[in-house]
Amino acid sequence: MLDSDTLIQHYLEGTLSDAEAEQLHDLLKAQPELGEQLIQHFEMDAMLRATKSLAADNIIRPALLPKRRFTFATVTTVAAMAACIALMSAWMAMSWLKSDVEETTASVAVLTRGVNLEWESPAITPGTPLSPGLLKLKSGIAQIEFYQGARVLIEGPAELQLISSGEATCTRGKLSANVPPQAKGFRINTPKGSIVDLGTEFGLDVNDASAEVHVFKGEVELHKAAESMKSLKEGQAMTFAAESQLLAANASSFASLNEINARTALSDRSQFERWQAQSAKLNADPSLKLHFDFQDDESARSLRNHVAQGEDGSIVGASWTAGRWPEKRALEFRNVSDRVRLGIAGETKALTMSVWMRVNGLDRSLNSIFMSESWGDRKVHWQITREGKIRLGVAGKANAHHVDYDTPVFFTPERFGRWMHLAVVFDPIAKEIRHYANGELLARLPLKDASPLKLGIAELGNWNDRRHQGGVAIRHLSGAMDEFALWDRALSDAEISKLGE
Amino acid sequence: MNIAETHAAQVFLSHHDFVKGVALKYAPWPGLMDDITQQVFLEFMAKESKWDLSSDARPLLATMTRHIAMRLWRERTRQQPEVVQKLADHIRLLAEEREMPPRYEEEIGVLRSCLQKLPDKSRELVELYYYNDIGTPEIAEQINMKADTVCRALSRVREKLRECIQQSMKQGGHAHA
Repeated sequence: MLDSDTLIQHYLEGTLSDAEAEQLHDLLKAQPELGEQLIQHFEMDAMLRATKSLAADNIIRPALLPKRRFTFATVTTVAAMAACIALMSAWMAMSWLKSDVEETTASVAVLTRGVNLEWESPAITPGTPLSPGLLKLKSGIAQIEFYQGARVLIEGPAELQLISSGEATCTRGKLSANVPPQAKGFRINTPKGSIVDLGTEFGLDVNDASAEVHVFKGEVELHKAAESMKSLKEGQAMTFAAESQLLAANASSFASLNEINARTALSDRSQFERWQAQSAKLNADPSLKLHFDFQDDESARSLRNHVAQGEDGSIVGASWTAGRWPEKRALEFRNVSDRVRLGIAGETKALTMSVWMRVNGLDRSLNSIFMSESWGDRKVHWQITREGKIRLGVAGKANAHHVDYDTPVFFTPERFGRWMHLAVVFDPIAKEIRHYANGELLARLPLKDASPLKLGIAELGNWNDRRHQGGVAIRHLSGAMDEFALWDRALSDAEISKLGE
Repeated sequence: MNIAETHAAQVFLSHHDFVKGVALKYAPWPGLMDDITQQVFLEFMAKESKWDLSSDARPLLATMTRHIAMRLWRERTRQQPEVVQKLADHIRLLAEEREMPPRYEEEIGVLRSCLQKLPDKSRELVELYYYNDIGTPEIAEQINMKADTVCRALSRVREKLRECIQQSMKQGGHAHA
């Protein structure tokens, strides 16, 4: 067994064997203070290498052949810089430079609102970015905003095939479109012909026999195979059938923005009331150890724990914002200081945690959800990795190794900015960890150590690592939470599903 | 090279040590710092006409360095065996999560003065290992010592230099080293 100095030296020298890498990794996990030492040696090593060019005049001529360690020369000298510039000019001409690897999205529109939505195609909820493909709406009204700027309301039953950010095909059902000047040229195809909008508002009703276009404002172009283009102006309507027929536009037969506004408000109110009723029932569960519903007064700096004799949470930094519905309150975590401090006394044999949260982005290597203070001795860290995996980390007893239970990647950029329900279960009977998202099982992982957990002082949305006197790791959440609950038993799939409805 | 390119190169040079500090934070892999710095320079110059060089270039360089560091880190570490990759990821996390900002820029100036204060034997070790690129096994062979002993001696030298830098910084930085 090599000592830590030798292992660190081998790391710096690039000569670490696989066995030594494993040994050093184990030491770093068991002795967190060694990590800081390693980083300091690493920084000093880099600085010493950088002083080489300036010390060239004083170099001792070696009796040994030099060992070539790194392939790239330092660019600290102006001469090296000049060489780089010359190289760069030539390379620029060849356009060799690769741009930064950026994440991409195939989405062309977003579902912004919906009322009583029932889908025949896979269910989607407001806030979901939409890629080209077929949407089959069984009932309800959905508002879709195309990235080019057109806003479309579709009324179920309807089928809409998204083609691009400025084009869709409606094969069945009713829709109304608002096309601002920026989206001029927005095109809707039907089996009977196509409509090209010139900056206006129009309605479309497609059935098996015909399609009807009603222009409420502005002008549209109608394109039909083997026929010349027809122009339709405000107040006019036309059927697309074997024989086209000119009619008067009838706005009242199509869903309007006012209608969806009113129905959305009603639907939000009804969901909020349903949540209030369920929340009250939740508080009666004797295994519930913590429940923050975030409905405290907006000037409050503490969060009421609805469990009898439970300890309230203390808000540090985080500010109040809107939650899932207009009447639901939430806390926004934005800065490095933002957190909610809480305490769970004693040991717990089983554990379930549930949170409603909106993740704005994964800015840190690890982004906190619920984090026991410090680390070690059966403490628990529930967090999201930068790659978007949800992780439950459980520390080993005393100095034993910790275990991370990760889901596959869940948080992709398309999920940012949307309210999500997450839950995790530590189940010592089934000997497994279960992760859930929006009520559905995301991962089931074998539990490696079923001994009881010690949560202790903990934080929502941040981490306080008390092990070091110097800097503390930054793991604050960028997002919001509007409900958090914790039980000392393993909830079933059905119970979690209900929480995530 | 035209006037604008010369100006951009000067701007980069004036922030050269800052870039190295950021590179160390996001890619603590031996030998990667210089590669990252070089790549940042090339990409900074390639898009030189896009930058507003009248304002502070540090935020721009910090972002560019971070992106490039992550990219080169991935390229470099994925060639390694899995066990080494895990260690490397652990170390990167440690480096990235440190709250203190990179201090390379301030410390490198002080280091030069601290090197002069080292005892002769320590300075000779630095010169053999860092300036003549002789590996620890070869140094051990030459001075008839065990390789582990050389590793520990280098470790102590770095610790001494760290203490000297901290002491000097407390007293006001480079001028007092």
